Amino acid sequence: MIFDLLEAFNENSLVLYLFVIGIACAAGGIPPMIERNRRRGIENQLPGLLESLSDAVGAGRGLQEAMLEQGRNTPGILGKLLTETLESSHASSFDAALSAFASKTRSSQVQRVVVLIDTAMEQDAPLQNILSDLAMDYERLNDLMNKRETELAGRGILIILFVCIGLPVLIAFIVGLFAPAASGFQIANFNSTFSTFFALASATGALVSGRMMGRARDMLWWIPLWMSTSMLLYLGAVKMIGG
Amino acid sequence: MRKLDEKKEILYVIRTLDVLMSSGVGLEAALHTIGKGGYGIISSDFSSLMKKLSSGKSRGLEFEVKALMNKAESEGYRRLLNTMYTNLTQNTDLIETLRKQGKRMEEDRNESVNKYIEELGGVPETLLSIGMIGPIILAIVGLVPQILGDGAEAIIGSIDQGLINSIVNGGLMFTLIGMMLIGLKAHTKDPGL
Repeated sequence: MIFDLLEAFNENSLVLYLFVIGIACAAGGIPPMIERNRRRGIENQLPGLLESLSDAVGAGRGLQEAMLEQGRNTPGILGKLLTETLESSHASSFDAALSAFASKTRSSQVQRVVVLIDTAMEQDAPLQNILSDLAMDYERLNDLMNKRETELAGRGILIILFVCIGLPVLIAFIVGLFAPAASGFQIANFNSTFSTFFALASATGALVSGRMMGRARDMLWWIPLWMSTSMLLYLGAVKMIGG
Repeated sequence: MRKLDEKKEILYVIRTLDVLMSSGVGLEAALHTIGKGGYGIISSDFSSLMKKLSSGKSRGLEFEVKALMNKAESEGYRRLLNTMYTNLTQNTDLIETLRKQGKRMEEDRNESVNKYIEELGGVPETLLSIGMIGPIILAIVGLVPQILGDGAEAIIGSIDQGLINSIVNGGLMFTLIGMMLIGLKAHTKDPGL
């Protein structure tokens, strides 16, 4: 059945190539999504951790001791990474352990915070105030990032639904109804031109949707799949309706 | 692209300068720390500034900062450089000014994110409208000779299929460019979070 279905699109080899490339690329698109979720999870926990550290330092504890304690108390991946790194750094210095922790999180927010803490320690700066300021700064930043993501995610999905699915099906319906191939209309060239247009329009739509949410690079992996989907939908619907 | 990078990094740079200088680090050493990396385009600017200073060919930090002001594209970065320049030439209270600037910049960032969300509200519908109207009209144009058959020649004279194909292709290309231009708004107006 699958081969019969693929046979139906033999005249449009581009769609078949794109479909195969699309499936392969989709597999490449999953790891960035997982990584992003992990990173955002860490970044959303960061202000809470900084605030607790500020309180602990204010109560007279050393930063290392406070970090180890807060790491144990913080649920999720941030606490786990912090505890793991500090506990495993028996022979190395605290600075080295902090740097290792920052690079393990793979988050630019955490790395910036660690650099600042490191510099503040070197300069004997008031850590309590710095940690509290950083907590507030990053809380506001994460709130904004989350707001942008939640408000624009719906619109991004709408663009993909409209441009990659709605548009090809709508035009296929019109073409299939008014110029059916079964009635002798010569629409092979016409279909080829329009399916290419839908593929390019889908690529544009998917890229715009990704850019809106600030993840255009991650979206690049999904573009071939959306291009082939819109082509398949158009060509399939024209065949189904117009014969 | 440079403007977007500057907007993205400037608030972090101000916060770092604030922490460094509040804890007693001098301006030159603070610039050197930022120049070591982590702040994108601003790090590379400060790094090249420090290289010029250490090569001995520079006329001094204030001249290099002033030269950077001509290179800066975003308002926030230019303002920061101006503050540093004023501090170098007139010995102003840099830390206090940095705090005020950071606060103001944060308010600007909040505003620009809200504006961005608002402005992109209509993009899905606009993309669908343009993507729909163009192909519907062009589909009719492309199929007219076949739909009308011999009657078409009686109405509009002899029809060159090649010309019709060119019109359809050109029209679709324009539609695509229109969609890209609408989508470009998502990139150019990015608040740089």
